[in-house]
Amino acid sequence: MNMADGTPKHPYHLVDPSPWPALGAVGALLLAIGAGLGMHPDMLGKGIESIVKAVQWWVIAPGLGLILAVMFWWWSDVIAESRKYHTAVVQLGLRYGMILFIASEVLFFAAFFWAFFDAALYPGAPEQPVRTEATGGIWPPKGVSIIAPFDLPFMNTLILLLSGTTVTWAHHAILEGNKRDAVRGLALTVILGIFFTGVQAYEYINAPFSFRENIYSSTFFMATGFHGFHVLVGTTFLLVCLFRAMAGHFKPKQHFGFEAAAWYWHFVDVVWLFLFFCIYWWGAGNAPIALH
Amino acid sequence: MIGKCARGIFGLLAVIAGLGITGGAQAQPIVGIPHDWQVNFPPSYTPLMERVASLNDLLLVIITLICIFVLALLLYAMWRFHAARNPTPTTTTHNTVLEVAWTVVPILILVVIAIPSFRLLYYGDKLAEAPVTIKVVGHQWYWSYEYPDQGNFRIESRILSEADRLKQKPNMPRMLAVDEEMVVPVGTNIRIIGTAADSMHGWTVPGFGIKKTVIPGRINEGWINVTKEGYYFGQCSQICGNNHSYMPIAVKAVAKPEFDKWVEQKKASAGLSPATDLASATAPANR
Amino acid sequence: MATAHGAAHDHGSHAHGHDEHHTPTGWRRYVYSTNHKDIGTMYLVFAIGAALIGATFSVIMRLELLQPGVQYFNAADGTPNGHLWNTVVTAHGLIMVFFVVMPALIGGFGNWFVPLMIGAPDMAFPRMNNISFWLLPPAFLLLLASALIGGGVGTGWTIYPPLTIQQGAGMDLAIFSLHIAGASSILGAINFITTIFNMRAPGMTLHRMPLFAWSILVTAFLLLLALPVLAGAITMLLTDRNFGTHFFDAAGGGDPTLFLHLFWFFGHPEVYIMILPAFGIVSHIISTFSKKPIFGYLGMAYAMVAIGVVGFVVWAHHMYTVGMDVDTRAYFVAATMVIAVPTGVKIFSWIATMWGGSIRLEVPMLWAIGFIFLFTVGGVTGVVLANAGVDYALHNTYYVIAHFHYVLSLGAVFGMFAGYYYWIGKMSGRQYPEWAAQIHFWTTFIGVNLTFFPMHFSGLAGMPRHYVDYPDAMWHWNYISSLGAFLSFGSTLFWLVFVVFGGLLAGRKVGANYWGEGATTLEWTVPSPPPFHTFEELPHISPAAHP
Ligand code: HEA
Ligand code: HEA
Ligand code: CUA
Ligand SMILES: [Cu+2]
Repeated sequence: MNMADGTPKHPYHLVDPSPWPALGAVGALLLAIGAGLGMHPDMLGKGIESIVKAVQWWVIAPGLGLILAVMFWWWSDVIAESRKYHTAVVQLGLRYGMILFIASEVLFFAAFFWAFFDAALYPGAPEQPVRTEATGGIWPPKGVSIIAPFDLPFMNTLILLLSGTTVTWAHHAILEGNKRDAVRGLALTVILGIFFTGVQAYEYINAPFSFRENIYSSTFFMATGFHGFHVLVGTTFLLVCLFRAMAGHFKPKQHFGFEAAAWYWHFVDVVWLFLFFCIYWWGAGNAPIALH
Repeated sequence: MIGKCARGIFGLLAVIAGLGITGGAQAQPIVGIPHDWQVNFPPSYTPLMERVASLNDLLLVIITLICIFVLALLLYAMWRFHAARNPTPTTTTHNTVLEVAWTVVPILILVVIAIPSFRLLYYGDKLAEAPVTIKVVGHQWYWSYEYPDQGNFRIESRILSEADRLKQKPNMPRMLAVDEEMVVPVGTNIRIIGTAADSMHGWTVPGFGIKKTVIPGRINEGWINVTKEGYYFGQCSQICGNNHSYMPIAVKAVAKPEFDKWVEQKKASAGLSPATDLASATAPANR
Repeated sequence: MATAHGAAHDHGSHAHGHDEHHTPTGWRRYVYSTNHKDIGTMYLVFAIGAALIGATFSVIMRLELLQPGVQYFNAADGTPNGHLWNTVVTAHGLIMVFFVVMPALIGGFGNWFVPLMIGAPDMAFPRMNNISFWLLPPAFLLLLASALIGGGVGTGWTIYPPLTIQQGAGMDLAIFSLHIAGASSILGAINFITTIFNMRAPGMTLHRMPLFAWSILVTAFLLLLALPVLAGAITMLLTDRNFGTHFFDAAGGGDPTLFLHLFWFFGHPEVYIMILPAFGIVSHIISTFSKKPIFGYLGMAYAMVAIGVVGFVVWAHHMYTVGMDVDTRAYFVAATMVIAVPTGVKIFSWIATMWGGSIRLEVPMLWAIGFIFLFTVGGVTGVVLANAGVDYALHNTYYVIAHFHYVLSLGAVFGMFAGYYYWIGKMSGRQYPEWAAQIHFWTTFIGVNLTFFPMHFSGLAGMPRHYVDYPDAMWHWNYISSLGAFLSFGSTLFWLVFVVFGGLLAGRKVGANYWGEGATTLEWTVPSPPPFHTFEELPHISPAAHP
């Protein structure tokens, strides 16, 4: 593809050199060290143990802060570049990238679902006497009372499904160049996302079991917790898109940032459906219900 | 370094000498130990191992032939088609017959392997019933053995320190000698039920064709039937921490009457009257 | 294989491209880099550095195993320090896998040559490419720190609980190290797949794409789908250790073998991740030095796809002895053996490529032929292990160590060296010194075989892995192994000094295609070393190029 003189003779985007990647890696290192210290304040010797104990989990702040800052700077750059350099081919590349990223996320959740089914399908195999004793050979394990599936969780399912429609509304609005409805759709989606998180937080606070209790609570909180984290990420992503929509960034033919957020949101939604059907509902078995 | 070499050799000589001297004193010969320059499996001491070894013999022939075949083709091609001998290359990039052949022939070879392999797999799996069951428990870093059908007494088996070994069992190899061996009757089907107390361990005896990774909270079942009286040695085969290298498995296989005698003696010292409760073989693993 | 026609590049032109004006120099050129060649170079340098550390650990291990008894690994009170041994072995394994083979083959050669071979001006996401690299030094630092902090990580690279639960603070650093290295690889995988799908030069269909690019494509898919599962598994390990969850703790209703399943669901694809790029490199070398196009190109490409796909459903062959149901074991026996078929297709297609060729035994070709034979040796012992019945006798013995070093240290590493000799002239503009390269090849060839062949014997005799000491009867084979390891380590140092430094400083300057007629892929159409930006005008691939 030959363009006018002064531009490359190909449609790709050769990104300028950037300090963010290396800085982000430093952030990752700091975060890992911080988290290590958070769990083992004496890890790096007695010298700093007292300091670590004083600041507690704030030890992860430098690493986390740097990572968040890098994300901000990096994606600001991307947004700025997108107006100029994101040709159709580059956008196609971004699409591949996002789909692949989501595919890897699916496999990440597969690990937690695997853990769940390992316990839920075989709570009492003869070759696992100790587990059998712990669970009573049933699922949910003996003594576990659960959160009623067709109560708040079901409402959350509806909330997420609804948010799937509002984000699609925003998408159609963008395609039609209707900025006002795009902003409305996005704003609604963000609000629904926040609402979902609020309900989830309520459920966590009032849950009849704790993370540390047994395999039921472990798998429950791990899977729903990572989902909740993804909801937060997705909500933030949509919020950024909301601001960008208000600023008029999205054009009917160029709005990949929005699409990526929408895909991500649908992915989070689908994971929730699996959580709801497998863990909340099927996984509820005949256990007594404690939280309505 | 020379000293170390000498030590290795002398250790070996000591073993050989020990074998000779103790022939009479020790009722059981030392059978299952590794040997200098050993290049293959030890002899088979159980029917299971016989089949393992025979499958391995088949495999060894097949894989050796495959390697020789590949090597021969490579060497021939390097020589015959060297630029000096063959300055103009052909342009052949397809040959359907060949391509089908090198897909189908390996499949056939694998089928030839698979048939005895599956037979062996199912043969070695579990016993429907066994007159003797022994529960093997791995600990950091020793083994304990429980005999649920014999009154459920329990013995512990720990490595002998070098000093103790030289004093008590000089004819047994370094690193393998233990204070108290697991005792089994020969010619008897013995169910092995393995579990672990703390981390995973691996219970195995080369020449028995059994290896069980024993896991806390889980039961792992297998079986042996030792054909010949004697001492047999294995080593913990699952990384388990600091003394992983130092928790050998020692098995003393004795004739049935002698086994019964040993059982009575154990029961007596454990304060169990003869023929007490018959603990179920599938009792839950310890925690 | 695809051939370039017409002007494929414009060397040294500075007329256009907004980024020309921003190309930084000095340290910023690398730290801020968005250039696939510079990033590839950083990966290679990193991998060589990590390899020296990983190999040093292995030499320390072989030094200890030179003699029966415990020579060096003693605690202060004189008793054997088996935990320290385990720590060194674990570090050796993890370094070699995550910080040598993967960075060199995928990050290094992949970055350098995938864009060049498909005629792309760079990777799809150049900035993300840079973070894929820069995440590695922190991950590596954490891994090294894990060996020093909290008593070290003495669990084996497979980090099975409950042993991992018992380790000190270093274990958590190792877990974070794997998280970060995993993130690096996932981002890299996304980048390679997108680059290959989206940036092939006009006319370069997937079915005309060079096999090295194919190998990286398949590898990237394996990375993308396998690593997240490891990430999930080690996250659960982390919470079991620190936050009281019970995933792998039977007393709380968990299951230790769950971790094994998750680990090997990642771990088995991981071994193909380490070997497929070497397959790709070897294909090019065999074709180049036989002066013949690769035999059965499509079969070669789809054999790799098949290996990748089947590689996802065989994981439990590492777990035959943990007490799985016998039918499940039977399935995994069958599935595992199936992989021998596509692998055989590759072996025989390489030989058929040589057949009728005009073979030059240049140094890269020596490594490639060495690879084919030694990988076969390692592969067929894998087939032995695949038979669960036999694996009962061999699991966790040195037979397994022999198997996987034949496919790794004599497979993947031979692929790396083959790639180094094949491409160093292209990357640096200077050719390696022939005499030193010959010495290096032969000493390494002899050294690694001396090291690892006797391990089959000690394994059959029952010597377990992760042992700091062995019964005296095991002495001879171990002695020979150790001598071999010293030889190959010496050979590696020799390589570093005379081939790497010697060649880079004083090697003969070479032109664009210094291998001549046989070398047909696009990287041979650009100068050596290639300009900072290649293919600013995209090459066109003629449809007639591939038979
Ligand atoms: C790629 C992987 C790889 C490589 C190359 C090696 C190389 C070597 N390994 Fe290792 N090894 C492992 C992977 C590898 N190993 C793994 C995964 C384990 C299991 C760990 C565990 O159980 O937890 C293991 C375990 C292991 C053991 C068993 C320890 C035990 O269980 O107690 C031993 C014992 O001798 C050993 C020895 C050696 C030796 C002597 C070498 C020598 O060959 C080293 C000599 C050096 C070289 C041959 C060259 C190195 C390469 C380069 C310098 C790269 C150059 C770079 C470019 C060309 C870009 N290794
Ligand atoms: C590059 C890495 C690599 C590769 C390519 C392979 C390839 C294979 N591996 Fe290996 N393996 C490892 C790395 C690798 N492995 C590692 C690191 C471990 C140990 C992990 C640990 O515990 O630490 C291991 C362990 C391991 C085990 C577990 C052993 C145990 O712990 O008890 C098994 C069992 O099935 C196995 C099997 C195989 C098979 C069947 C192949 C096949 O893919 C091989 C196929 C190739 C051929 C067969 C040769 C060429 C083919 C022909 C010439 C055609 C004709 C051939 C026939 C008809 C047979 N491997
Ligand atoms: Cu017990 Cu290793
Ligand atoms: Cu495998």
